[in-house]
Amino acid sequence: MALGASGVGAYQLAPVPAETSAHWREIAWPFPRDGWPAGRAFRCDGACDGAELYVRAKLGFCNCDRGVADDDEVDRVADLDLISPRFAATAPGDPLRVDELEGRARHYDLDMPDGARHAATGIALSRRCDLMVAVVQGAGEARTMQRAAIEFLQTQEMKRWVVAALDGR
Amino acid sequence: MSRRVQLAAYLVLLACSSAYAQKQQVIGAPPEASNMKLVGTNDLQARSAYQPTIHHQGDRWIAYIGHHGGTDDVPNPVNPLTGQAEPNGTSIVDVTDPAHPKYLRHLPGQEGKYESGGAQMVRVCDGKSLPKGDANAVYMLRTFGSEAHEIWNVADPANPALVTRIGGLKDTHKSWWECDTGIAYLVSGAPDWRTRRMTQVYDLSDPAHPQKIRDFGLPGQEPGATGAVPTELHGPISTGPTGNRVYFGYGTNKGGILQIVDREKLLSGGKEPTPENLRYPEIARMPMSAFNGAHTTFPMLDMPVAEFAEDKDGKTRDIVMIVDEAILNECGEARQMVWFADVTTEARPMMISSYTVPEASGQFCQRGGRFGSHSSNESMAPVYYKKMAFIAFFNAGVRALDIRDPYHPKEVGYFIPAITAATDKRCIPVEGGERCKVAIQTNNVETDDRGYIYIVDRANTGMHILELTGPARAVAGLPKN
Repeated sequence: MALGASGVGAYQLAPVPAETSAHWREIAWPFPRDGWPAGRAFRCDGACDGAELYVRAKLGFCNCDRGVADDDEVDRVADLDLISPRFAATAPGDPLRVDELEGRARHYDLDMPDGARHAATGIALSRRCDLMVAVVQGAGEARTMQRAAIEFLQTQEMKRWVVAALDGR
Repeated sequence: MSRRVQLAAYLVLLACSSAYAQKQQVIGAPPEASNMKLVGTNDLQARSAYQPTIHHQGDRWIAYIGHHGGTDDVPNPVNPLTGQAEPNGTSIVDVTDPAHPKYLRHLPGQEGKYESGGAQMVRVCDGKSLPKGDANAVYMLRTFGSEAHEIWNVADPANPALVTRIGGLKDTHKSWWECDTGIAYLVSGAPDWRTRRMTQVYDLSDPAHPQKIRDFGLPGQEPGATGAVPTELHGPISTGPTGNRVYFGYGTNKGGILQIVDREKLLSGGKEPTPENLRYPEIARMPMSAFNGAHTTFPMLDMPVAEFAEDKDGKTRDIVMIVDEAILNECGEARQMVWFADVTTEARPMMISSYTVPEASGQFCQRGGRFGSHSSNESMAPVYYKKMAFIAFFNAGVRALDIRDPYHPKEVGYFIPAITAATDKRCIPVEGGERCKVAIQTNNVETDDRGYIYIVDRANTGMHILELTGPARAVAGLPKN
């Protein structure tokens, strides 16, 4: 899986009105090593200013036949616990499809280590036994951040990277 | 090209072809073995196998083998005994004569492929040992795919009769059943819990009338909790009322946890799944590396360690052998292996040693399929208990370990079965598609009181019955053969 900066890092969604544009800038993966290789992290400028998006593959971590079957699965796998162990879902999640991947997205409130309250969306998408998980979080409005993150995940560059990551390349 | 250069090129080619031959198993090639010998085989109707349990009933020895669901290519293999295509379930094989196993019955499981179907897990207790069982019955507890646990009377193993069914679950897996008390720790998935797999404790002392005792798991997994969800359960092993401990293994190939639980407190404590009630019976919890899970947590208590024999304290140690499960093909993950934890001071368990098959000894990362550990034998019969352990290591077959000094476990034998036409392929994604190889996938292993070793294959190659030979027999104190 690719690490560090890449050509995707400065992707600009266009054309959209200035107030709704989102510019995702790649940053270093901010979490300590855990059981899965590090993924990629981005910070948003523009419509979702200050939001951060973390994306990575978790190979072999999904029920091969059922996929991401329910919201509990999103709670378990979506890497929210990397940001804070204290998170609570604010509503049932929704089905989500990104290219060939299917799964669910769910909104959460996060109690940040510094005492701040952030909104987050956890995303879990599966391809057979493998998962692609993402979290977008920040002080902004959850739906705005989610929309910007999903649009970004649907760019050709990110879709190519996701396929490569799920292939173990 | 000079003759010398030609010779060098030939030698390089020869070396490369030899290396390739080592990497790939081929049909017709003999098994690979050291200090272990094949006694008999059964193809198990080419069904993917999980747990074998060997039970001595009357004057017969019967093997009960749980199966995963079918494959994409063959979802419901044909049962030659009935002529019908049947979803994988439980194979029942008479192994009284281990050289000539006799397939008695296939009991179909849940429709579904791979881990979504079949009947993976099986345990067996005699009715006469259960407090309220029918003394003439032999009870087989099995999972039914991902939706139920079932108990069958297998007193006549060729004609099992369903006794009871515990349904309404969303996932099931590797259970434990105390034959002297009837207490069962069923790895289940209760609908409201936040984890796929947790424990449902049942009193199955009267198999016809199961009594639920409680749900159990790690705090954070219970219904209504928020925040991080702890690693899901893989399986427990209880030492019963005498030892008063249950050793729970959480995780598969990541974030493993060994949890030591006071059995009496587990059974008698508050039943509501509150964080306080879930914490109450816990004695200790040992987190493992994020790289490794805990598939099997096999207790070996009060082991004398020769090296410590002259010490004033700590001559014997309580050991838990922890076996991770490899899940990705062709080494697509951190190595999953075997760990030994000293839990003598229960509140401060400590990992003391480890074991893995040396990859280079068989170029296992290139053979295809999974390479790494999956499970150990779980029989506590005296023939091997606290002396030898047998580890299923997927494409590296079964490994026999001398564990008399658990601080320094040592491999003393191995057996890698030959592949057959039934052996299923294992694939990995490559750019533009996938690449597949065929390799043995020894999934589980069990032993019987006579000392025979039973290994079963996840890639449909069936069951192989083995015995130790040479110096490995001496480790177990077996007579020369």
